[in-house]
Amino acid sequence: MNKFAIMVDATSDVPKSFCEKYDIIVIPTHIKLPAGNEIMWQSDWDQYPRDQFYADLRKDPNGFATAPPSVAEFTDQFEKIAAEGRDILFITISEGMSGTYNFSKAAADAVMKKYPDIKIHCVDSRRYSTSYGLMAVHAAMKREEGKSMQEVADYIEENKNRYHQAGWMDDLSILAKKGRITNAKAFFGQLAGIKPIGEVDESGKTSILGKARGAKAGYKVLLKYMEETIENPEEQIIFIAHTMRQAQAEEYKKMIEEKFHPKEVYINDIFPPCGVNIGTGLMGAFYLGKPISEGLVEEKAIIEGALAEG
Amino acid sequence: MKTMRVDGNVLRAMFENGLENIRCHEEEVNMLNVFPVPDGDTGTNMRLTLEGGLKSTKPAAEANLFLQSLSKGMLYSARGNSGVILSQFFNGLYLELSRCPTVSAAELRNACIRGYRSAYKAVVKPTEGTILTVTRLGIENIRAQIGRRTPVEDMLSMYLAEMKKTLTITPELLDVLKEEGVVDSGAIGYIYIVEGMLKYLYGEKIESSKKIKPASLPEGMSDAPGPMIDLDHFNENSVFVDGYCMEFILQMMKGKDYLKNFRLNKFINDMSDFGNSIVAIQDDMRVKVHIHTKKPAKVIETAQAYGEFITFKLENMQVMHNHRNTLKLKEENRKPMAVVAVVNGEGVKSTFRTLGCDAVIDAGPSMNVPARDFVDEYAGLNAETIVVLPDNKNTILAALQAEKLYAEEIGEDKMPKIVVLEAANIAEGYFAKAMENPNETDVEKRIAQMKSGIEGVSCLAMTRATKAFSNEHVNLSEGDGFVTLDDEVILGCPASDFENEWANTLIRGIVEIPDIADKEICVIFRGEGTTDDDEYILTDKIAEQFPLMDVAVFNGGQSLYSWIIGIA
Repeated sequence: MNKFAIMVDATSDVPKSFCEKYDIIVIPTHIKLPAGNEIMWQSDWDQYPRDQFYADLRKDPNGFATAPPSVAEFTDQFEKIAAEGRDILFITISEGMSGTYNFSKAAADAVMKKYPDIKIHCVDSRRYSTSYGLMAVHAAMKREEGKSMQEVADYIEENKNRYHQAGWMDDLSILAKKGRITNAKAFFGQLAGIKPIGEVDESGKTSILGKARGAKAGYKVLLKYMEETIENPEEQIIFIAHTMRQAQAEEYKKMIEEKFHPKEVYINDIFPPCGVNIGTGLMGAFYLGKPISEGLVEEKAIIEGALAEG
Repeated sequence: MKTMRVDGNVLRAMFENGLENIRCHEEEVNMLNVFPVPDGDTGTNMRLTLEGGLKSTKPAAEANLFLQSLSKGMLYSARGNSGVILSQFFNGLYLELSRCPTVSAAELRNACIRGYRSAYKAVVKPTEGTILTVTRLGIENIRAQIGRRTPVEDMLSMYLAEMKKTLTITPELLDVLKEEGVVDSGAIGYIYIVEGMLKYLYGEKIESSKKIKPASLPEGMSDAPGPMIDLDHFNENSVFVDGYCMEFILQMMKGKDYLKNFRLNKFINDMSDFGNSIVAIQDDMRVKVHIHTKKPAKVIETAQAYGEFITFKLENMQVMHNHRNTLKLKEENRKPMAVVAVVNGEGVKSTFRTLGCDAVIDAGPSMNVPARDFVDEYAGLNAETIVVLPDNKNTILAALQAEKLYAEEIGEDKMPKIVVLEAANIAEGYFAKAMENPNETDVEKRIAQMKSGIEGVSCLAMTRATKAFSNEHVNLSEGDGFVTLDDEVILGCPASDFENEWANTLIRGIVEIPDIADKEICVIFRGEGTTDDDEYILTDKIAEQFPLMDVAVFNGGQSLYSWIIGIA
C-alpha cells in the first residue's frame, strides 16, 4: 500500500485500467438524469452504456446536469483513508469551473482536525477531463519513483500549465451552452465539416484558436501544433479523448504514433461528469509540452501559421 | 494675392463659410459637451445662434453695417450658454469695428480682443478652460505679431493656430474636461467657425452637401422648434440634479406695475441666488437671460417684476443628460464588426441567422437587392466594419453601389468600413461565415478567415429551363432540368426523365468537379417544392458515391433552384 493516497474525482476521466495500475482513487460525482433521478459516477460505463448516454444527451442536453461531491461526501472519502493512517493528495478539477476545490478544502480541514497526524493536500489542477486525469497519472508515476507527497504536489504546481490539448470540437453547441468555452455567447454550433481547433487556457477553459475546413486539413494542423508544443514525446503516454468520434480518434492515434513514437497512445473515454458539459464532437490528444502562454498568444500564432500553410 | 482689407460682402461670405463649417461638425461638438451641464447641445446651439444672426442680416458692402445687423440678430437668436457667449463675442467685435467700412488685420485683432472681453463680461462667473480662455489667449498671445502689413489670412491663421494650441490645455484648467477626456465643446465650436471663415479667404467654399441633414441627427437632437426629446429618458425614478436650462428675452415695460431702474448688475446678482451659468445681456429696453436653475418660478417672478417675456424657453437638462449618456452607451456598444448576408428563402435566412449574421437581406426570387435595402441595413447596424456576403455577382455590385450612397447620406467621417466579400452563391457565403472564428478580436483576421472559407468551394445548382437553351454541354428544351457548376450549365435532364433522373444528374454534376477527390464537405440547401423523400434519395446517393463526405442538409426553401449544393 502506498504511504499516501492520490485521489481525484470523476471529472478526471482517468480510465479504470490506469486507476488500478497506478493506484488512483476516484471519488464519484453526481449526475442528474433527464428522468429526474441522480446517479453517482465513478469510472466505467456499467450503469449507462456510452453510446446510449451520448445519444440521450444529444436529444436532451438540458435534461442532464452535474454536481460535485458535497463536503460531507468528501469528508467520508477522506476519512476512510485517514483512518488507515495515510496522507492524501487530492487533485481537483479547475477551480475556475467547479466548486470542488473549496468543498474538498473544507472537508480536508475537518478531517485533519479529527486526525491531527494526517495531512491532506488539495491541489487545483487548473484543468478538467483528460488533461486533469493525465496529470493524476503523472502524479502517481512520480509517487512510484519514490517522491514524497510534498514533492508530488510541487511537481503538479510547477507543471500544470504544461498540459496541452491538440484537438478539434466539431460540435460546440453544448460546450458553449455549459460555459466551458471562452466567449460562449458567440455562435459555436455545429458546422458541416468545419473543425474548430481548441486549446485550454490558464483557467482550463477551451478557447477556439482557429478553424480548419475538413478533417484532412484538421489533422494536419493538429499534428503541426503538437510538433511545435510537445516535449520529449518518446517518453510520454499520450491520451486521446473523444466523444463519439471513435474512427477519427483511431486515425489520429496512428498519425501520432508514426510522427512522435510515444511510449503509448491510449484512446480514452469521456465519462458523463464531463461529457454532459462537452457533448459530442470532441477529438483531441492530451500531452505534456511547453508552458502555455498567457492568453494563448503563442499557441494561437502556431495554429494560425499551420492553417495558413494549408 | 493676400487680403489686406475685408468689406461687408466678404465678411458675410466668411461668416457663411464659418456657419457651414460648424454645421459639418455639429454632432461632434454636441458629443464633446460636458460643461457646464452635459446636455449635448453646444454644437447645435452655436450653429443656430450664428444661423439666426446671418438670416437677419441685409446685404451691406460696409463691414460695420453688416456686423451691426449680425450682432443684433445674434443677440436674439442666441441659444444656450455657448450661443449667448458667442453672440456677446460678436457684439464686442462689432462695437470695436462700428466705424470701419472695411477691416484690416490689425483692426480685426483689436476687435477680437474687445470680443473676448465682452464675452467675459456676459458671464457671471467666468470659467477658465472654456471658449473664454481660448478666445482670450488665442488673440493675446499673437497680438504683438500683427501689424499694419499683416494680411487678414495670416492674422486668422495665427489666431486659429494659437486657439488650437490653447484648446489642448483646456482639460488642465477644467477638471470635468480632464475626467471625461474631452476638450471644451464651446471652444472647439468657435474654432470651427473661425476655421470656416479663414477657409473662405483661401478659396475653399465648404460644401453644403456635407450638411448634416436633420433626418440623420440622432433622436432628440433635431433642431427646431426645440429638441425632440425621448421622454423616456426621465421618469419617476430619475435623479434630478442638472436642473432646467432657462432662456428668455424680457421686454422691460413702462407703467406703474413694473419696477423702474433696471440695473443689470443687480439683476444678475439676484439671479445668482437661483442658479448658475448665468448670462445676461442688455440691449436698451430688452434683456436676454440664460440661466441654469432648479427654481424656475423664482427666476420668472424676479424677471417679471421689470417687464414681460418676449420669448421663453425652459428645458429639463436631466433629460438631455440622460439622453446623451444613452448615446454614449451606444457608442461604447458599437461592435467592431457586423456581417450582412444576402440570401433567398426562409430556411436559408434562418440558417444564416443561426450562423451569427447580424442582418440577413432577402434577395427574393429575382435575386436582386436594390442598393436602398443595403443602405437601410447598414444604417441599422452599429458597427465599425460591415462585411457583406452576397449570393450572386449582381448583388456584389449593388452592395458596392450602396456603399457610395450611404457615405453620401451619413458623411465620410461616420461611415463604417464596408467590405463586400466575393461570394457568388449561398454555399460560398455559408463556408465564409462558418470559417470565421468568433473568438478572434482582430477584424482583419476575421475577414481573412471568411475569405478562406470562400476559396475552393464548388457550387452546383439545379433548376428547370424556362426556355430553350444550348451551349457546348447541353441542348435544353423548355421544362428540362439542368445543373450548373459555378454558374455554368454543364448537364441537362430531359423533362420526361426528370422524375427518375434528377438525383443522378446532380451526382454526375458532383463527379464533374475537377478536384472532387480532395473534397470532404457537402452542404445542401433544399429549395421550394422538394420533399423529405427527395432529400433521402439524394443523400443516400451521395453517401454511396462519396462515403467519406461530411454531408449537411438545410431546408432552405429558396425559390428558383430546387437544390444548391456547396462542395468543399
